[in-house]
Amino acid sequence: MAHLLRRSGIALALLWLVCTLTFVLVHAAPGDAALLLLPPEADAATLARLRAELGLDAPLAQQYLQWLGNIARGDLGTSLASGRPVAELIAEALPVSLGLGAASLLVTVLAGVAIGSAQARRPGSRLDTALTILSTTAYSAPTFWLSLACVALVTVGAAALGVPPAFRLPAFALRDPGVLNASAAPLDVMRHAVLPVLVLAITGAAGVARFARSAIVEAARSDYRRTALAKGVTRNLAWSRHVVRVAWPSVAALIALSVPGTVAGSVFVEGVFAWPGMGKLLLGAVAQRDHPLILSVTLLYATVVIATNLLTDLVLPRLDPRRRSS
Amino acid sequence: MAQVPARVKFALCGLAILVVACAIGPMLQRDPSAIGDVLAQRFRSPLDTDARGSFHLFGTDAFGRDVLARLLLAGRLSLLVGLVGALLSGVVGTALGALAGWRAGWIDVVITAASDTLQAIPRLVLLLACAALWRPGIPTLVTVLALTGWMGVARLVRAEVLGLTARDFVLAARTLGSSSSRMLVRHVIPNAIAPALVATTLGIGNAILLESGLSFLGLGVQPPSPSWGNMIAGGREHLVTAPWIALAPGLAVVITVTAATLIGDWAQERAAGKTPD
Repeated sequence: MAHLLRRSGIALALLWLVCTLTFVLVHAAPGDAALLLLPPEADAATLARLRAELGLDAPLAQQYLQWLGNIARGDLGTSLASGRPVAELIAEALPVSLGLGAASLLVTVLAGVAIGSAQARRPGSRLDTALTILSTTAYSAPTFWLSLACVALVTVGAAALGVPPAFRLPAFALRDPGVLNASAAPLDVMRHAVLPVLVLAITGAAGVARFARSAIVEAARSDYRRTALAKGVTRNLAWSRHVVRVAWPSVAALIALSVPGTVAGSVFVEGVFAWPGMGKLLLGAVAQRDHPLILSVTLLYATVVIATNLLTDLVLPRLDPRRRSS
Repeated sequence: MAQVPARVKFALCGLAILVVACAIGPMLQRDPSAIGDVLAQRFRSPLDTDARGSFHLFGTDAFGRDVLARLLLAGRLSLLVGLVGALLSGVVGTALGALAGWRAGWIDVVITAASDTLQAIPRLVLLLACAALWRPGIPTLVTVLALTGWMGVARLVRAEVLGLTARDFVLAARTLGSSSSRMLVRHVIPNAIAPALVATTLGIGNAILLESGLSFLGLGVQPPSPSWGNMIAGGREHLVTAPWIALAPGLAVVITVTAATLIGDWAQERAAGKTPD
């Protein structure tokens, strides 16, 4: 209980520091919201009036407290570009990203663990080396480039191979963002999701495989497994009881820790495939210098990371007795 | 000296060839940004020879420029930005980590809190936010790469320094009357540097990847200066008609980052004292 309180306290303090950091970033940057909202030819009086209206002329300390208070009440402000409440924009985009993230995380975990354990069965074998090079390559490919390569493959490539159009995949995804909320065409949404999920899963699975391999190899080389084998335990039993049982909590931890990576990695994929989620929202906000939106999305990503870390910290000792501190 | 595995040798060779090609390739070319007869020259497919008899290994782009020549020129900037960004974050991380571990007290608390705060935000998101708030360009890019990449190194160095403070040779130096800063610079940091070097090596690939991403979004290296990222962005609208324009520079990124990662992984295994298999 004391541990839970302490960890939660640290998480809250971290969240406050992230809020402060984002506030500092925005106020240290050149230009402010008023400059961005008005045309360049606006005179000083208009600028001053808008600043007063937006509360930008107040002392910095007062602005800071106000901004913290607003966040605490769940008021994330108004988007400069669209004039709509930021909370509303996020509420629309978040489920779309979560859906994409959940689907790709599922494929990532299944494929990554399967590849990693296949490698770990015979470390140093040809299969292991080939898969290591393959997963390192996939891990090293920029996701936006991988997305473009996939698009080229299903368009030019499929046409060159003579694949009938009915079997080709839609390339640049959803033309109408509203289609995702319509329950009318779940099949269409799935068709459009194939490429983004594939790209996210390729890079994700490569990362998981790299880690799972080394965790399993380390457990397989341990003295306790050798002792078990020497005492006459069958290979399969030694594998399940002394290798998998030992390695899986760290793999589980890695998967939990890769959640924010998946979320952030989807930024480019959502951008390329016009997938109307958080990533696309962030890219749009960045392109339009929409400060309130950038800040809120950054804050949301940080909240996800901090919450996942907290959850991993609390759950992991239950899975792995070695992590329980005395 | 442990045996160097074949894949690491392969990675070293590939990286060396790429670096040398980027360094001297553009010197051998006629001006790679020179524009001749645009209509006749543009969208030549890979392995094509044009009317003037020039061979284009990777074809030409929408303006009739040779893709390979631009790719090598772009490699100079992309490699340099990635390398400098990663090295700077290594230096910042080593300095702050050593300071936190050595001085302890409130300095340690402040540095650790700063590091934890920055690590709570996905690096790409932090980079995007900074690039959007400041004027995009190479100086911003390198600064932001350095300021968002130092935390991992700092954490390693701090732990290493904390372990070293209690060692006998540090105690001996103290007994001999060394000043605190001399002990830190002469005895502690040299012994704590190995993990920092490994982490920095592993960071190079990451920095090149992030540079290409930001340049792809128009927030990094600005055209007409070519970088791998903005070349991919430039080829995007011709993806269906001339896919090689966008795909070739990405291949260069993949080769570079794969090589850097293979080498970094190997260095890490060596440093951890494990025999690489």
